[in-house]
Amino acid sequence: MPAISVRDLRKTFQMKRKAAGLRGSLRALWRPDYQSVEAVRGLSFEMEDGELLGFIGPNGAGKSTTIKILTGILHPSSGEAAVLGHVPWEQRQALAFQIGSVFGQRPQLWYHLPAVDTFYLFGKIYELDDSSLKRRISFLAEAFEIEELLETPVRKLSLGQRMRCEVAASLLHKPRVLLLDEPSIGLDVVAKQRLRMTIQRMNELEGVGVLLTSHDAGDIETLCRRVIIINHGEIVYRDKVSALKRRYLTVKTVDVRYNEQLAPDFSLPGVEMVKVGRYGAKMRFDTRVTPVEPVISGLAAAGSLADVTVSEPSLEEVISAIYERTEA
Amino acid sequence: MRSREADVLSPESRVRGPAAAAVVGKYWAIFRTQLVNSLAYPIDLLGRSLAIVLFMWIFMNLWRVTYGATGASSIAGLTLADTMWYLMMAEAVMLSKRDLSETISEQVKDGSVAYLLNKPFNFILYHFAAGLGHSLLSFGGNLLIGSGIVWLMVGPPPGIMGWLFAGVAVALSWLLDFCFSTLIGLSAFVVEETNAFRWIYQKFLLLLGGVLIPLDFFPAWLQTISLNLPFAWIIYGPARLFVDPSLARLGQVLLQQGIWLAVFGGIVWVTYRRAVARLVINGG
Ligand SMILES: Nc1ncnc2c1ncn2[C@@H]1O[C@H](COP(=O)(O)OP(=O)(O)OP(=O)(O)O)[C@@H](O)[C@H]1O
Ligand SMILES: [Mg+2]
Repeated sequence: MPAISVRDLRKTFQMKRKAAGLRGSLRALWRPDYQSVEAVRGLSFEMEDGELLGFIGPNGAGKSTTIKILTGILHPSSGEAAVLGHVPWEQRQALAFQIGSVFGQRPQLWYHLPAVDTFYLFGKIYELDDSSLKRRISFLAEAFEIEELLETPVRKLSLGQRMRCEVAASLLHKPRVLLLDEPSIGLDVVAKQRLRMTIQRMNELEGVGVLLTSHDAGDIETLCRRVIIINHGEIVYRDKVSALKRRYLTVKTVDVRYNEQLAPDFSLPGVEMVKVGRYGAKMRFDTRVTPVEPVISGLAAAGSLADVTVSEPSLEEVISAIYERTEA
Repeated sequence: MRSREADVLSPESRVRGPAAAAVVGKYWAIFRTQLVNSLAYPIDLLGRSLAIVLFMWIFMNLWRVTYGATGASSIAGLTLADTMWYLMMAEAVMLSKRDLSETISEQVKDGSVAYLLNKPFNFILYHFAAGLGHSLLSFGGNLLIGSGIVWLMVGPPPGIMGWLFAGVAVALSWLLDFCFSTLIGLSAFVVEETNAFRWIYQKFLLLLGGVLIPLDFFPAWLQTISLNLPFAWIIYGPARLFVDPSLARLGQVLLQQGIWLAVFGGIVWVTYRRAVARLVINGG
């Protein structure tokens, strides 16, 4: 049985529309003008038990809405979903014992208290007995390297430190599925790396399945084997992360520098010139369309070469290409 | 590591024994955490409790002049000392109300309500426990400081029965206020701005609840109206019982509180069920 399965899930928000100014407000009071926003439009996907699944998409794509439906705090307009065998919006409380969630943009630790106080509170809320709770806290403190931070009031922690505590808190009751909505938002490179390593470690150690949204391709690349890309509430791509890269790997970017000045109208057939300078150029071509050899010989023929760099697109670029392609 | 930790949280690590104990345990923990949280800023807590000193000083000057002008030792059955002790209790109750409606509205508006709905506890009971943790401390502080100052002004407080009866009535009054605040807070699920409701509720308490003046001083028709509305039983009821702890009055106060609690408790419950079903969570 998959940990999460979603079939034809839809969510339409009714949003009150109101004209500007006082008159608009008054009119909206008498005759509210509703505008519907289709946040999720027929999503179907599955996540295996213990899987690390990337769930990405541009702003407003419907990621958070989907996650809220999966935690049971939002009712879908139609469609089915099962998380660990529960229909989330019907069995929210029962499900709560088995899933953890982190909404990166909202803190859940008590701001004025040390994190350990929230940990003990959660222990009670999840009905853990005291000795297991103690062992669990010390285990998580070690895994997340937060032993020294636990006694400090949360308001005095850095964002990166706080985020590690937040994720640790969501794992206290040893959930089988973790829903992470942008956990790495606002973190620096090092903090991101640390958080990724810990999430990966918890996944290996306890087999907790993770549905991860992020705007950082690096999170997806290091953590997830499989990725689902959505835009405008619909799935536009789903496959292994490696396949995603491979598929676009045929696009090469070439940077050349010459020892002499380049002809201003320098171009090669089948190659897109991104930038042509006086002593160099940047260009892009797809090896499936344009063979490599004539490009290389064309480059050599154009003058005395000083340097050549050939690069493949980063995952980030691949993803933004997909976003753009589906922007219709 | 795996072998050592794999079994740390087997299903058996859930609290053993009657399920009720675990349930009470979690709300108790919420209450206690809120209590500790309020203590995080003791100076702030003390500062807020000092507001009652200012109020009592103003009331003292006002009513001393009034009693002096009429020349009577009691008005509508209340001496100056009674009036001051009444007002002290009324203010202590009023000032230690947590603005729960605002808390809930904020949580709904900024989306943090998501974290309260995806935990295994009841949202209303969570706020009940947390609100109690919040109010208890400030009520204690207000009562202590308020009593001190009023004692200096007009002499000793009512006897032990006054404290006892008022204690019971204050507890029920807190529940009644909890119902109103929760209703206003829950309305944030439907309308965007709840400030208007909050403002109206506050004004009703101030004017018809007996916060500024014992309702006994009102003209008869206004008294009748006030006493037939729930607001009087949040403030006036407990405060009046404090200075006149008769069994008859106790019966009247508890009956009124009980009726209004049944009515508004029911409304809260139904509203909550419906609000959660049509829940819209903002942000993210
Ligand atoms: N409470 C709401 N009322 C009305 N519309 C909403 C509400 N919540 C979300 N939406 C709309 O639904 C769409 C999807 O929003 P959602 O928050 O799921 O996007 P997202 O993929 O999480 O975006 P981001 O990456 O910016 O967090 C957006 O168009 C948004 O405006
Ligand atoms: Mg989002």
